[in-house]
Amino acid sequence: MRSQSGLVTGVLFSVVTVYAISFATLSEKLHGTVVAGLLWVALLFSSSASLPRIFLAEEEQGTAELLRMVGRPHAVFWGKSLFNCLQSVVTGILLCVLYLGFTSKSVTVPWLLAVCLIAGCLSLAGAVTLCGAIASQASNRAVLSAAIAVPLLLPLVSLGVSGVRVALGDGAASEGNGAAIGLIGYACATLATGPWIFAAVWKS
Amino acid sequence: MCDVGYWALDLCGGLEKLKTILRTLYVLLMGVAIVWSYTVPDAVGFQKPGMARIFLWHFPCPMLAVFLLMYGAWCAFRMFQSISLSPFQFKAETNYDAKVLWDLRSVAAMEIGYLFCLLTMATGILFSEVQWGAWWSWDPRQTSFLIVLLIYAAYFALRFAYSDGGKRAAFSGAYALATIVPSLFLVFVFPRLPYIKSLSLHPSDSIVGGLIKGQYGQCVCFILALVTVLTVYLFKMRVQVGLLEIGLEKRNGQLENLGNNPAPTGVVRPVYLPKSD
Repeated sequence: MRSQSGLVTGVLFSVVTVYAISFATLSEKLHGTVVAGLLWVALLFSSSASLPRIFLAEEEQGTAELLRMVGRPHAVFWGKSLFNCLQSVVTGILLCVLYLGFTSKSVTVPWLLAVCLIAGCLSLAGAVTLCGAIASQASNRAVLSAAIAVPLLLPLVSLGVSGVRVALGDGAASEGNGAAIGLIGYACATLATGPWIFAAVWKS
Repeated sequence: MCDVGYWALDLCGGLEKLKTILRTLYVLLMGVAIVWSYTVPDAVGFQKPGMARIFLWHFPCPMLAVFLLMYGAWCAFRMFQSISLSPFQFKAETNYDAKVLWDLRSVAAMEIGYLFCLLTMATGILFSEVQWGAWWSWDPRQTSFLIVLLIYAAYFALRFAYSDGGKRAAFSGAYALATIVPSLFLVFVFPRLPYIKSLSLHPSDSIVGGLIKGQYGQCVCFILALVTVLTVYLFKMRVQVGLLEIGLEKRNGQLENLGNNPAPTGVVRPVYLPKSD
């Protein structure tokens, strides 16, 4: 329940971003690539602002030491990242539905959009959870966690844009398939290596 | 055999003189490389072939920047192995000296890699202005290397954020390991994606495609070898400086405790003690 604020922040950020983009491009007919780019930028900043809270809150409230004493690192990481995965997927779906509704953009390949969105959100959650853990004990942890997460997430954003633009009818199908495979691979790599790296620094 | 060895050392006037000779030789070879890079025939396929010579010095920079990023991550991995915190390998004893040494190697690799990354961007931007007519063309290769530069910058931001040496080493090492997958993607996969490749102005697959050949290829290899030697030298120097800094800190700590002269005790405040009857 302590991470409720993260979920509320993420959802609110998404709604405000969608509204701001729709308002700014009121009279414009947006291209599929532009829509995909704006969607992923909104997802990126929404995730990097809300997801690291899960570790930062533990340090701020002084419960991290207790967790270190009683919790196994793999169990802690999986617990935190599964919650973040769920939060990220919920935020992503909400953002996408609202965004496509506001911009009246039709989806040409729905399955590709779903795969890219879910795999992308899982990758975002895995990478941002790890960055949150790495920055959690620093003095300027809130800003630092976002600053170190964004460079790691930019390749993911490029893959996400490549996939979603095809799903919105802009680009070749093979490109979209490649991007979807890339996103699934990125999610697997992030979630597979994250616990091992986290375990190495958990007791530091 | 030993006599021959002593004779060789005597001939050079000791190991120090041998090092001086090697350094002088290196400077001379660097001079040869600079002259050669100006006299090599113009490359074919560029808008301004004469100005494309910067490629000869640009080429080693990204290669070494990426190699050093990977080597920094490898050193971080070895550091975790040496302090038994890694689940990859457990050891009965904690080897703190090894931890310090691997952390130093990791940060040395990252620092020199950052330098080469900056040189890559500088030479690349110059090439972009000369050949493509703009300082920044949003070329996929330029953009992906800018993100690699940001990854390096994030590593140092994280390192500066921790004042405690142990935490600094552990958390920055973890970040170095986490950067492997995105960096490999950015350098080797992203510029070769079909949609991205079609947008790129940057020459690609020059080595694999056999486009760098003849005297041009020889000059590139020669400069690459020289810059690699310089990198190894800088790396060794940085590690030695780091070890000296640690040694100095230890020595200062020992000096403070010398002569049975402990640090002043805290202030003693008067307290009220009730009289016992």
